[in-house]
Amino acid sequence: MKAGIQTRLLILTTVVLGTFLTLAGVVLDRSFKASVLTNAEEQLRIVIYSLMGAVEDDGTSLRFDGALPEPRLSQPESGLYATVTARHGLTAWQSPSALTSSVHFPESSDSLAAGDFVFFSFDEQAARFILSYAVIWGDTEDAVLTFTVATDQQPFQAEIQGFRRNLYVGLGAVTVFFVLAQWLAVRVGLRPLRTMAAEVRALEEGQRESLSEDYPKELQGLAENLDRFVAHEHRSRSRYRRAMEDLAHSLKTPLAVIRNALAEGADQQQELLGEQLDRMESTVTHQLSRAAVSGPVVVGRAVNVFTLVDRLVRALEKAYGDRGLELINELPPDLTVRADERDVMEMLGNLLENACKYTHSKIEVRALSTTPVIIEVADDGPGIDPELRQEVLNRGTRADVLQPGQGIGLAMVQDLLAAYKGHLEITESSLGGASMRLVLG
Amino acid sequence: MRILVVEDEPNLRAQLKTRLNDSGYVVDVAEDGEEGLYFGREYEYDAAIIDLGLPKLDGMALIAQLRAGERDFPVLVLTARGNWQDKVEGLEAGADDYLTKPFQPEELLARLNALLRRAAGYASPVLEQGDLKLDTARKEVRVADALIELTAYEYKVLEYLMLNPSRVVSKTELTDHLYEQDFDRDSNVIEVFVGRLRKKLDPVNPIRTVRGQGYRFSLESPA
Repeated sequence: MKAGIQTRLLILTTVVLGTFLTLAGVVLDRSFKASVLTNAEEQLRIVIYSLMGAVEDDGTSLRFDGALPEPRLSQPESGLYATVTARHGLTAWQSPSALTSSVHFPESSDSLAAGDFVFFSFDEQAARFILSYAVIWGDTEDAVLTFTVATDQQPFQAEIQGFRRNLYVGLGAVTVFFVLAQWLAVRVGLRPLRTMAAEVRALEEGQRESLSEDYPKELQGLAENLDRFVAHEHRSRSRYRRAMEDLAHSLKTPLAVIRNALAEGADQQQELLGEQLDRMESTVTHQLSRAAVSGPVVVGRAVNVFTLVDRLVRALEKAYGDRGLELINELPPDLTVRADERDVMEMLGNLLENACKYTHSKIEVRALSTTPVIIEVADDGPGIDPELRQEVLNRGTRADVLQPGQGIGLAMVQDLLAAYKGHLEITESSLGGASMRLVLG
Repeated sequence: MRILVVEDEPNLRAQLKTRLNDSGYVVDVAEDGEEGLYFGREYEYDAAIIDLGLPKLDGMALIAQLRAGERDFPVLVLTARGNWQDKVEGLEAGADDYLTKPFQPEELLARLNALLRRAAGYASPVLEQGDLKLDTARKEVRVADALIELTAYEYKVLEYLMLNPSRVVSKTELTDHLYEQDFDRDSNVIEVFVGRLRKKLDPVNPIRTVRGQGYRFSLESPA
């Protein structure tokens, strides 16, 4: 069986939503990281500008009078460091904060043209952001100073981590919320379908005649069609059966007329005609009975076999009243089968009548098993020889060689059983006679 | 024995009547359920043969209404459909036996015979009262195993009385059940048959005359 609609919808939503939110997460994460870097670069640029503004050049060396423009530059290990280099990598000045730390400034790049900013967002060794700026300092083109400022990445990383954490928690919460909402929506949305499934089941089991009428408009058409189909099935079943009965009546009555006329006459061909009539009778009887087999029911109630056998027993006790037979129904009172009632009655009726014909004094009907249903009709008559049992079963299945009184009943039982994917077994009964066993599917 | 036959197919109806008449039964025929109900209510029958598929009132309803009107004569049902649902419903409606069309005329007669016997309380086709034996299948009468030659009417009188033992049967009843309607009711032919029967059955004398009422079958000595 395929996964249910609810499961499918949930899986699909979860996949789509998951992908969407993951992509959104990645994009947001990248943008935030980029903005943090831009922010870091901007902060360093401001430090460079303020250093440039505060520096004093006395021609031989660079110095800063008074406080440095950024107090953190004066504090050792403060996380903000600066250096100024002249041409050829000569360090002209270094901030006090950098003196005791192992700040690793990049080699002063002579290639850096005046007016260029270079931002190193990534310093493997000390995990710092570094910004360098070259500026022409003095009158000669040679007098180029490179201001380099470095700051620890850690606070920025922490900011990114914090953002990420919030982002993931937020997105996770959104995902869970949406999946739950979707699950709820699907459950509520599919409720009419579940109701319909339950009603169809009830219909199958014969607990209701039609579906209810308050379905949403998308399902209303389907429900109505289903109702029409069920009603049609019932109608055509009974119409078919009536047609078969009428056919039986219109064929059998003339046969009865011919037979009686024949019995009155003294024609020499009487015997021959009689034989042919016998054949016609058994064929018509058998084929019509075959055609009347309903087969397994799709829609209908389960048949209580106990009640049915009870009715048959009473009927047969009446019909065979002069034999004084003892018919005992030992079936469990709640034994049911999913089948057409007439079919079951036909099978058991034929078996019981056969038993009545052959038994000595007693017949018992028992259930040997309930899954599958095995019903035994046992008698205390002469029984059937083991060598003959197969022949009896075969004879029952070959209509063309049937003779009147020769197992039309059994053939009927076997046809019915075939429609229900069951079979007939013949053994010896505990009463000493034959045991006919109906094995239903 | 007076039998009611309710069958709508005219040929079969006529054949049944002939067949039953030939076997010594008096037969009334009805062609639909309503007519059958009328006959069944108006006249006394020993048995009825009723087709299930009847116009106007179907066989099942006819039987149910006869039973509701306390008509308890045995009913043999004829059915063309032959399915068990019909047979069981027919028997539940009050029928006593069923026969599926097409049927052998001999089987119909045998079943009818059995129904009549059962209704009178005999289990075997041979009705036995002391030394007197009446074989309903072969229509033979024996006294102490010696075959007694009886005419058809003598046999019918004896059979009817034996099937209604220990009950006073009036001459009118005998006439109604043994002869067609146009029989002259005033004649003393019944007395003649009874007289001849007594002579032939001697030394047993099971037919008692109940003065002013009729006859009673009994092997006991007259009081």
